[in-house]
Amino acid sequence: MKGILEYSQGETIIHKLNPLTKMILAFLLCLSSFVSNNILMAVVIIALNIIIAYMANITKKALLLLSTLLKIGVVLFLFQIFFIRTGNIILSLPLNLYITDMGLEFSILLVLRLAGATMPLVLMITVTRMSDLTNVFVQKLHIPYKYTFAFITALRFIPIFENEMNGIIEAQTARGVEFDTKNPIKKIKLVLPLCVPLLISSVKRIEGGAISAELRGFNVRQKNSGYKKYYFNIFDYLVILLSVLMLFVSFVVA
Amino acid sequence: MIKFSNVCFAYEKTNILDNINFSINKGEFVAIVGRNGAGKTTLMKLFNGLLKPTSGNVNIANLDTKISKTSELAKHVGFLFQNPDRQICQNTVKAEIAFGLKCVLTDKGEIEKRCKDTMARFGLIGEKDPFSLSRGERQKVALASIIALSPKILVLDEPTTGLDYKECMHIMEIINELNQNGTTVIMVCHDMELVADFAQRVIVLGEGNILADASCKKVMVDADVLRSASLAPPQIAELAIRLGEDFEGILTLDEMTDKIESRCLS
Repeated sequence: MKGILEYSQGETIIHKLNPLTKMILAFLLCLSSFVSNNILMAVVIIALNIIIAYMANITKKALLLLSTLLKIGVVLFLFQIFFIRTGNIILSLPLNLYITDMGLEFSILLVLRLAGATMPLVLMITVTRMSDLTNVFVQKLHIPYKYTFAFITALRFIPIFENEMNGIIEAQTARGVEFDTKNPIKKIKLVLPLCVPLLISSVKRIEGGAISAELRGFNVRQKNSGYKKYYFNIFDYLVILLSVLMLFVSFVVA
Repeated sequence: MIKFSNVCFAYEKTNILDNINFSINKGEFVAIVGRNGAGKTTLMKLFNGLLKPTSGNVNIANLDTKISKTSELAKHVGFLFQNPDRQICQNTVKAEIAFGLKCVLTDKGEIEKRCKDTMARFGLIGEKDPFSLSRGERQKVALASIIALSPKILVLDEPTTGLDYKECMHIMEIINELNQNGTTVIMVCHDMELVADFAQRVIVLGEGNILADASCKKVMVDADVLRSASLAPPQIAELAIRLGEDFEGILTLDEMTDKIESRCLS
């Protein structure tokens, strides 16, 4: 998952889309994923995400993201499959546990929905510059700059914190803490004390960011304007149309 | 004690280190210098297995870093990072020093004893919150928590960055004392005055290759090597070069004073 939210540079058709188009595409794909209650449809949405990633030249990143989401999905799947007790029993287990056909179907759908809904949002962030996203929020959606700045800064901090955490884990491994163990439970236990240095460095960074923004006249900004203008071209309309179509199909199938 | 044989390292497709070969004996004080991006930090991370060589072998105290875990190598190699805040994770100085010890020792009495000894050696107060200390003090706590493990090899990545002269000299004196007692020290440093004062041997890195590997005295007067690595010799060494052959090889103020005194007397 290293560097998953970092901007991937490129000149592809996906990169060149209007940031608002990319947002609409991501949002509608995410919505389609939640709307569909059909496994095949959920698979189609995931496949569409992979195609988009291929077009944006970030297939490797998308597959890595998908595998991580599926790993998280396995945990959710195991919980869900034993909690749903309605439907026909297809497998009986000791301790009064059993798996039903409905439980199995819903659990698979849940995992696929999780992947289908998360992927477009992450991919959108990966192919959009934060400055473009900020400008579009302000210019097109007329969201006050202060709120946009706070939101974008929060997004920007995720990969920074990830890097910081990797650095902290490296430093702790170098002093003998067994982060290189294969036991995931032991690993989780070891991560907990590291929250202290991460929290401290995060607060320091945020404070530094706030001070430098004020020193550069953050509060002086009066107009919601920007130097760069964002126009829609034929591809943007086409992508929006396809996204709406996808949502419509999801509704129909549901 | 340390052997790099035909070591290459690449991040994805970018070559960072190319065919690195050198050995370091027990008790040596080696400085690794070079411009930013020369591959110094990458080289340092190969010492304790945080990075594994793409090809070639790194042997540390008879352990191959390719197959040994970093947490195992930590028993032999103490690594001090540039930023102490990544290392400090406990609420008191004492707990911080004990944290690393608990990873490698089980005897509580021994942990307690080593904590006390280390705090006394570094002049640290055990009950203090490490995050409320000055940058220099935090660096000292980070170093203390490594020294407490009694590593045979000490790897320091720019240990004096952000420290004032007094803090810097305090840290370096402790490191020098450890070296006098037999610890092998490998240090990345941009401060050539410090290198000249403490290191016996210098490895100059440039574009992923070793440009020079010789005694400190030899490297500091080799203008070509220093220029190719974008380094400048310490001022006292530069003055010695300008004063002529008779003063050649002088790197420290003490050496210069002795030379001038002997010349005046003769």
